[in-house]
Amino acid sequence: MTGPQVTGPRVSTATSYGVGIGWRPEIAGFVAGLPGLRFAEVVAESVHAHGDLPSGLTQLLDRGVTVIPHGVRLSLGGAEPVEAARLEHFAAAARRLAAPLVSEHIAFVRAGGVEAGHLLPLPRSREAVDAVVANVKLVQSTLDVPIALEPIAAVFDWPDDEMDEATFLTRILDGTGALLLLDVANVYANARNRGTNPLDLLDGLPLDRVAYVHVAGGAEHDGVYHDTHTDAVPRPVLELVTALCERHRPPALMLERDGDYPPAAALRTELDAIAIAADYPAIT
Amino acid sequence: MQPVATGDTWGIPGPTFLLYFLGAAVLIAIAALVHRRILFAGDRAARVDELGPQQIAYLNGGEQLALYSALGGLRAAGAIATAADKTLCQSGPLPGGVTPLDTAVYNAAGKQFRTREIRDDQWVAAALLQLRTGLEQSGLAVPRDSQRAARRWALAGVALVVLGFYRLVAGVQNQKPIGILVVAIMAAIVLTLLLNRKARIRTRAADRGLTAVRRNHEHLSPRQSPSYATYGAAGAAMGVALFGAASLYTMDPAFAEEAEIRRIGTSSFGDSGSASSCGGSSSSCGSSGSSCGGGSSCGGGGCGG
Repeated sequence: MTGPQVTGPRVSTATSYGVGIGWRPEIAGFVAGLPGLRFAEVVAESVHAHGDLPSGLTQLLDRGVTVIPHGVRLSLGGAEPVEAARLEHFAAAARRLAAPLVSEHIAFVRAGGVEAGHLLPLPRSREAVDAVVANVKLVQSTLDVPIALEPIAAVFDWPDDEMDEATFLTRILDGTGALLLLDVANVYANARNRGTNPLDLLDGLPLDRVAYVHVAGGAEHDGVYHDTHTDAVPRPVLELVTALCERHRPPALMLERDGDYPPAAALRTELDAIAIAADYPAIT
Repeated sequence: MQPVATGDTWGIPGPTFLLYFLGAAVLIAIAALVHRRILFAGDRAARVDELGPQQIAYLNGGEQLALYSALGGLRAAGAIATAADKTLCQSGPLPGGVTPLDTAVYNAAGKQFRTREIRDDQWVAAALLQLRTGLEQSGLAVPRDSQRAARRWALAGVALVVLGFYRLVAGVQNQKPIGILVVAIMAAIVLTLLLNRKARIRTRAADRGLTAVRRNHEHLSPRQSPSYATYGAAGAAMGVALFGAASLYTMDPAFAEEAEIRRIGTSSFGDSGSASSCGGSSSSCGSSGSSCGGGSSCGGGGCGG
């Protein structure tokens, strides 16, 4: 079931959190007003290790809402080891939030000191697996809680891929004992852009190791579907949520919206749609 | 200091006069302060958390901010825009459940008022009066009478300054040293100016409640670049009410610019943070938020002519 090196409590699959949302300062008031909310995610880099928490987060924590730090800048897929200062901050953020787990992307954001500014996909090679595993182990050594790894949406594939995505991810999870943060919008985007069946990937992944799930919107431009996080969640992504839950329902799913926020009623509708798709109680 | 000489000015030795002069100044200051405490106490039982955005705005920044709060709400609802000549105009229907001030501002926009002229509209003026009177009656706003009564102490200060000048002139004629007297008169002038300052808008009772309201609406602070589309017209109006005109610039910079919204802050209370620091300054505030309000037409051009 789980990898041999998972440390800490098995919170991820033992507790069911239902539907949550990515906490962003722009919609902090909306998130605070969700009566049934039990978990939220916050960008780890926005949490000060020692200073005040972002306004509104304290309120959520006081209410007993579980807040998970989500790293975006560790660059786990980088050839060089993760910087010590970033490791320290990531672990401090987790402690600060008393989070039961943390998450990061399987991607690289910088190489040779140059910042890409966004998440870049790794070639699916044995070397890449080894690099990620080494970096994840380094992160795990500083953490008191499990880490969940999120595969990213890739608009392109590297020409020298040696294995399919499911194998690539499974090897990383097996090598690290990490949990999986599955982004169904990414799964949908990748399958649609590659012309493959998203269910094939779901069937190839160890779904019992999914800690939680991202659900986000996207839009098509010039024939390519972009995982924008600024559009409404399309129907096929919700259908994929249902398909996933039929195979193995994850303990938590969350709406990930990063900009162009719609009126509160529209956000509530999206949260309700995810709840219905996953057969969890509505949190609105 | 001064030798006891024959011919003290007005028969009062200099040190004695200074003692009484400064003593009088201190007494006036204490009396004015005590009077203000009584005048501005307000009704401790009055509730702030049930007020609407425009009432909160009035308590925070007077009539101007109440107007801006109404403009913010109407703009976020897509009801108003600016025309080419920087006059306001109607760009959509008046939303339901609005206040008399909203209605008055909306109608004034239909009459192509500029933002700064809008108070001249008799319906807007009447709505503002109604807003103010309600708050005064509930013990949250300081009544105009009380504001005047508080400033009346400045008259005592003026009397003191005049007396000091007479003494100064007489002392000069008498060839007495006047150095300390000049300093004392300056102090009396400063005191008079302080007493004549514009009295506070809200009562101390309102202060306490407002701090709590502001804490509960921290998500509307421009520092969070709040999504006004998500919070809706009421959120936009409350954002302006609590955090000043900077909120209008965050929400819809083009409209705020076109409508010539002055960057007034809110009068500080308790842990006054972001709001006042944004007042008056140029580009550092506002501008960061990208999302326009709920209305579809961003920017000024929403009205044909």
